Amino acid sequence: MERRDFLKATVLTGATAALSGCEKPAQKLVRFIPEEDLVPGVATWKPSVCTLCSAGCGLMVRILPGEAEVVRGGKLGTIQMGLAKKLEGNPNHPVNQGRLCARGQAGLQITYHPDRVNGPLRRSGPRGSGNFLATTWEEALSEVVSKLGEIRSKNRPRSLRVLSGRLRGQHGELVRKFLKAFGAPPAMVFDPLDEPVLRQANLLSFGQASIPSFDLARTNYLICFGADFLGTWNSPVAQSAGYGEMRQGRPGSRGGFVQVEQRMSQTGGNADEWIAARPGTEGVLALGMAHVMLKEQLRPHVQDNATRLIAGWSEGLPDYAPSPVEEKTGIPGKRIERLAREITAHVPAVAMIGGLPLAHTNGLFSALAVNALNTLLGSVGTPGGMFFAPRPPMQESEDLTEDGNFVRDLLGAKLDGTDVLLLHNSNPVFATPAAWKVRNSLAQIPFIVSFGSFVDETSELADLILPDHSPLESWLDDVPESGTNRAVVSLAPPAMQPLHNTLAMPDALLTIAHQLGGDLGKALPWESFQDMLQDSMAPLRTAGGMHPPPSPEAFWTQVQEQGGWWGDEPKQFGRLASPHGRAAVKFTEPQFDGEESSFPLHFQPYVSQAFLDGSLAHLPWMQELPDSLSTIMWGTGVEINPKTAQRLGIEQDDLVEVRSQHGSLMAPALLSPGIAFDVVAMAMGQGHDNFSRYASGRGANPVTILAPVQVAETGSLAWAATRVRVSKVGKARPALFSGGLFERPSELQSR
Amino acid sequence: MRSIITDLSLVVMASVAVSSFFLNRASLAGSFRKRIAGTPQVFTPAHPTVLDSAREFLGWRDNAVQPLAFTHKRHVENQITCTACHEGVQQSAIAGIPNIKVCMRCHALFAKDRPEIKKLTAIFNSGLDLPWQRVYGFSPSAHVKFNHAPHIHAGVDCSTCHGDVTVMTVAVRAVNLNMGFCLRCHRAKQVSTDCITCHF
Repeated sequence: MERRDFLKATVLTGATAALSGCEKPAQKLVRFIPEEDLVPGVATWKPSVCTLCSAGCGLMVRILPGEAEVVRGGKLGTIQMGLAKKLEGNPNHPVNQGRLCARGQAGLQITYHPDRVNGPLRRSGPRGSGNFLATTWEEALSEVVSKLGEIRSKNRPRSLRVLSGRLRGQHGELVRKFLKAFGAPPAMVFDPLDEPVLRQANLLSFGQASIPSFDLARTNYLICFGADFLGTWNSPVAQSAGYGEMRQGRPGSRGGFVQVEQRMSQTGGNADEWIAARPGTEGVLALGMAHVMLKEQLRPHVQDNATRLIAGWSEGLPDYAPSPVEEKTGIPGKRIERLAREITAHVPAVAMIGGLPLAHTNGLFSALAVNALNTLLGSVGTPGGMFFAPRPPMQESEDLTEDGNFVRDLLGAKLDGTDVLLLHNSNPVFATPAAWKVRNSLAQIPFIVSFGSFVDETSELADLILPDHSPLESWLDDVPESGTNRAVVSLAPPAMQPLHNTLAMPDALLTIAHQLGGDLGKALPWESFQDMLQDSMAPLRTAGGMHPPPSPEAFWTQVQEQGGWWGDEPKQFGRLASPHGRAAVKFTEPQFDGEESSFPLHFQPYVSQAFLDGSLAHLPWMQELPDSLSTIMWGTGVEINPKTAQRLGIEQDDLVEVRSQHGSLMAPALLSPGIAFDVVAMAMGQGHDNFSRYASGRGANPVTILAPVQVAETGSLAWAATRVRVSKVGKARPALFSGGLFERPSELQSR
Repeated sequence: MRSIITDLSLVVMASVAVSSFFLNRASLAGSFRKRIAGTPQVFTPAHPTVLDSAREFLGWRDNAVQPLAFTHKRHVENQITCTACHEGVQQSAIAGIPNIKVCMRCHALFAKDRPEIKKLTAIFNSGLDLPWQRVYGFSPSAHVKFNHAPHIHAGVDCSTCHGDVTVMTVAVRAVNLNMGFCLRCHRAKQVSTDCITCHF
């Protein structure tokens, strides 16, 4: 054979494909599109899971061969590989049914972010200085192992703590197993967007501490108390789809929709009727309607567990007659009567509560009141009503204790004995009131390890940063809690190979566990997270969804191909467990921090459509997403009613100071008629000190000036319980609005 | 009146283009995108400077600078077909610029002692790819989409549009791919000359 022929043969058969095996060992474990199947210019779509909020939507990722800029061995250069180019919704996924919100689409930018941590880092300056030096994975992991070995040999396993965001699916299970086997306390969860008050209320009313789902597609009338369910709350994509069906999907029948809130959200902007009840009186309004329904016998007088929690229910709610309700809520009694009649004339009707109404000191009462209203409307677990999504029949480790609560441990001084803190997917330094001094408490911990992909306000305190893969580069799983009536486990293999020298957080934990050995090694026998996922999915093979059940191998392949497992469509909604007994509750006035005389305005931070709690502020696509009501972009403003502004001598684009008893911030004034006279509102998410080039030093963070007021029953932050005063301090740099002359801040215009 | 306005705007456009051309030559040696000090930060969303937009309007581009002195001639002499490396050409809109693994299929074994191949091996070992620069291609404002595969299936020879690479070392832009060039061939072969065939 001549050399030429050999060359040809090699080129034709790709016989030297063995060469392509020169990659990091971690990359061999995962399934990518084989390189020889990648054709330039031809796209492949692979399933993935959106991890940006608690909805847990399914994704489809468009993979195309392309060039990416990376660092290898300290040198900047390009590599050619299959790259994720576009994210869309997974059409087969029961939660989002092929749709995807703007935040989900922007998730792509996490992978290619120029400020991503592209290899393990060790702190080099004083703590919090933000100075880090590159290190190797061997050194970094062995340092963690030796620290953990040290506290184990000193017999102080309880001095290891984990601080994490949402812990769902096998990610959560792995962390729980790790901590239990090590002997450490349960992970401290900190997720500012969780609804602990709603969970507590649902536990009391319906025996299930879950966030509900809503069958909006079959509802005729929706009354929503404060939840921005089309923008940010719960499962916004699923709810938007149901909402579209309710309003326009049924010829001849357009569902009615009333929104109760003090600052008009995107959702409120869609409502037929927008009602600004006084802050903290939403529950009174709900019971006021219930009173009318009972008095006029518009609905059968239901007596069950949910209604028994409301004092005076069996007597027909005498305390909630229209006139006292008018006095408390500021809503005319006639209007309440009309609404009650309108709703009952259009059953199935449903009431929803979420967001700000639950962030008052009496939030639990409001939630219980809405639960009772739903019960009266006969819309619990019925078509067109609310229900709880079924749980997938997976083997849950029942002997594991529940996750801890960061705020409770922080305020209870339970962080004091901590020697090692593992930090994952959570930024409490940014998202808690300055009055809680989270930064100081965390800075006292001797050794902090962060698994973050970005340096942020919390992970800048870390001694070691062990960067996680981006979501598109990782094995992902999630168990959506709401948004569908089917049991769902979202699961997907990595869509692309890792760009940088990173290691998936679950694999890092497994490596650490195996190196520590002993009980820990035994409790976590899996070689990789992929194996753990495969084992966890096994019980679902025969649990429906696929008929007849495929072979175990075929099942595992099919799960990866379709982006998860979902059970059969149930014939009816699941039954509710029997609830816990509790004494009946009465309305109590919400408590606000600050005297009305010196702090006359209610301060309402709201969840940003673009950044949620601030965790997405580093994505430039989200920065330039105009707010759907004010159209502001690349910044924040203080929303204030024009009449209030006039009284205070404030004009559009004036720089104003918002002062609470616990601090102050400055931001441009945004005059907005869609807000109550005694309320000022501000989007969360901006005002980062250190969170990539796009978010750092931009706008102001409303959470910092909040009063450290807690909801008594859950200990969670009552983030609507702060009063402020607003004063003009000068002229602000004009805020950027969509459609303006400039849509990008000047410092970024050349990019 | 209308023609005066047109003339005026052409004169303005030309003078802007000419002055920025000289500005460019004086201050810049290479990159298409580099900014000139003193020009405004944003000219249009698509172009950072006036110069860039004028250059694109007039179709001026710098010659590609390649990371290696790759010789097409040598490879063709060894009877390696175009499709062996430009793998997408028969299936896809894009022919594809081969990545370094394609090079290493052969050069892990052959011509290892040549200086350029040593450079190639060093880059491969560093885990990076070759930053090839595109030689052909259309500017975005031309709004034209070209699809390789149907042309190849219609029997159009690669050299029709890319010149005779058998005499080239590093590929150069041997053919000016303007609309007239495309249309001549489309008319000769009696294939569609509808606007929407290419501009969609």
